[in-house]
Amino acid sequence: MSDSPFTWHAGGCHCGGVRFEVALPAVVEAQSCNCSMCAKTGFVHIIVPESRFRITKGAERLAEYTFNTRVAKHMFCAECGIKGFYRPRSNPDGWSVNARCLDTTEGLDLRIAAFDGQNWEANASGLAHLSREPA
Amino acid sequence: MTELAGHCHCGAIRVDLETPRAAADLPLRACQCSFCRRHGALTTSDPDGHLHIEAAPGSANRYRFGHGVSDFLICAECGVYVAATQETDTGLIAVLNVRGVDLPGFEGREAQLMTYDGETPDERLARRKARWTPAVFVETNPSA
Repeated sequence: MSDSPFTWHAGGCHCGGVRFEVALPAVVEAQSCNCSMCAKTGFVHIIVPESRFRITKGAERLAEYTFNTRVAKHMFCAECGIKGFYRPRSNPDGWSVNARCLDTTEGLDLRIAAFDGQNWEANASGLAHLSREPA
Repeated sequence: MTELAGHCHCGAIRVDLETPRAAADLPLRACQCSFCRRHGALTTSDPDGHLHIEAAPGSANRYRFGHGVSDFLICAECGVYVAATQETDTGLIAVLNVRGVDLPGFEGREAQLMTYDGETPDERLARRKARWTPAVFVETNPSA
């Protein structure tokens, strides 16, 4: 029996072409960001380390968009435009999953805090721990 | 006459909404369908207004689902959902994603939650003709 505090949850885009899974604790710390990109996609961030995320279908259907420093890799389904996850500039060693794109949030205690991405430089370091792998 | 302008993140698709109403008097809707929820869409429209959608050549992907009669315009470059359009016997009509184009004048407003499950195709068309905005879609270079 596993003693992992995490449970795998599935999600995906709208057309069904892209699917993913993310391992989450029962209480999930999420961020709603006001930067120019997140404001336009309504992205609700759940940031996890590399080991707690996997693309299960459709990696080849992902389009990639970059701007400004081009560190963040904004990925979306080329068919339906849904951005289910991406490589965030704050956590390029991990992933940010869009809470809106989970199949269900039932059973999850999703706690969404405002993140001031309009002042990204002053605030991003506060997110760095979220993608750290356990020692 | 109020003129409200916006664009997707990369600027390839630009919109201009002309309306006789103040922005504060336009509706703000949060459709709860599986597409709009994932995009976090917040939409507006005005049957008495006019919406001009201008896209760089090839930048507007058209996604269809459900009844398959309307085009959901997605920017091919940045992935932002800009607007949905439908051809009718009286011309093209559209609903605009306020969030996707960061349309000014809606800040801090609570959106009305909408569900349209169970509509027949005829009921859906009638609702859209009554609420959506007469529109034109043109492809043109942003520098033109």
